[in-house]
Amino acid sequence: MISVWHYLAVAAVLFALGLIGFLTRRNLITMFLSAELMLQGVVLNLLAFSRFHANLSGQAFALFVVTVAACEAGIAMALFIVLYRRNKSLDASVWQSNREAGVPSSVDADALPTVAAEGADDPKLQPAGAKPQEPARV
Amino acid sequence: MSLFAAMQTGNPLGQLATAVVLGALAIYWLLPKPRGRSIAIGTFAAIASAVVLVSWVVRRFGDPAPDLVGNILFWLFSAGAVGFGTIFVCQRNPGRGAIAFAFVILSVCGLFLLLAAPFLMAATIVIYAGAIIVTFLFVLMLSHADGPTDENDRTREPMLGSLAGFAFLGLVLFALYQSSPAAANDTNDPEYVLPARPVSGEERAALLEIAEQLGEVTKLQDKDAILEKTKLMRDRIAEIVGVPPTSVDAVAAPTKRKSIPDRLALLTDPRSMATKTLGEEIRQMNGKAFNALENNLLSKANPSATDIQKSTEALPALREKLIYLAGRGELPARNVANIGYVLYSEYLLAVEMAGTILLVATIGTVAIATRKRVSA
Repeated sequence: MISVWHYLAVAAVLFALGLIGFLTRRNLITMFLSAELMLQGVVLNLLAFSRFHANLSGQAFALFVVTVAACEAGIAMALFIVLYRRNKSLDASVWQSNREAGVPSSVDADALPTVAAEGADDPKLQPAGAKPQEPARV
Repeated sequence: MSLFAAMQTGNPLGQLATAVVLGALAIYWLLPKPRGRSIAIGTFAAIASAVVLVSWVVRRFGDPAPDLVGNILFWLFSAGAVGFGTIFVCQRNPGRGAIAFAFVILSVCGLFLLLAAPFLMAATIVIYAGAIIVTFLFVLMLSHADGPTDENDRTREPMLGSLAGFAFLGLVLFALYQSSPAAANDTNDPEYVLPARPVSGEERAALLEIAEQLGEVTKLQDKDAILEKTKLMRDRIAEIVGVPPTSVDAVAAPTKRKSIPDRLALLTDPRSMATKTLGEEIRQMNGKAFNALENNLLSKANPSATDIQKSTEALPALREKLIYLAGRGELPARNVANIGYVLYSEYLLAVEMAGTILLVATIGTVAIATRKRVSA
């Protein structure tokens, strides 16, 4: 018989994976999806207890969690757009200049492996005429 | 082989610690880094950690042998959720990560269905299908996937991060273990255990079986057949709901296991009290119905059809109560209707607040993302 503890164990694993993803990954979109992964773990907990106690309150709570997740998604995406416009990067570490005073900055020690860009040897066309002046858009 | 041998006999805490350390190392090796990333070692450690963890869960929380289909689905969906979750966290490319996340959502929705929440399953699939498409849009719009980048190919503190996550997991699982029946069996201390379900699975199966037999008895017209069928029924019902404290049997044969009303005697929430009252009603009806049956049938050598009818007339009511008791502790069948009822009766204020939050979030999103026109 699958007991409530089996479901709670799965939910704990999902939450831990989301936690690791949120703590370690630097891509803002991946961090956001990691937070959603943690929310899925929480919802699984709520539903397991709802089934265990034969009480629909757990399912109602799960609906509210989904609502809050939707709000979070909307605001997070809007923030990503604003942050990307400023620095043209999704890297969260770009914003480490906003850290608290006294906290050492994180430095990337290892150089990234360099990959020869595709088409590096392709022939280049000489641009003709003046380049149109257009503000950079996202 | 020695790993499996250790899992069979090793102490549970050591096993949990092994799983946690292996898992942390696996994620450490799998996370994208310019140097020292090994997918082979990481995958091996992840599989080893999963094997140790599953063996720990099975040993601690019980091996679910019966209910084959439910088991297969549970393990399939949970393996899917955890496996794709690992892939998602360790995936370099955010687009592929979003696909892995979609599979996590699908697996979790399977688990929702197993937990008798079909409405939430459908709602989650619909909502996250939209959310993941939007995420894809953002990945396509904002990521420039030509060559390695800082945000995708570097990890912030991979060792500390994975250790923190798995330390958290180990602590949560250990706390779960302390509240499980397995721990109570180990330490003989029932204080830690979560309150049990009012009617256990075995009791529900027994109640439904007895109810079915009672339905057959009411159709019988033969004295011996009725007596044969009902011979053990009174004791079987008494085993589940107990016997009234005033009856002779209560002193003569103390029940080995605690009956449903006795188990719920100390609980004061309305649902437990209603179940307890129902159990006590059945307790009384059980004695009366079978006494009437025996009195009517055994007092005469050849009972007439009216006698037989009279002897079994209390049984349908008893059967109905047994079915009611068997249904206690289960979620209502009409999921959508009942969630709607709960939302708009008990949680009306919360529904209003959720709607308000959604509205505020929409306005906030528009306000944040609007390009500010700076007059230069």
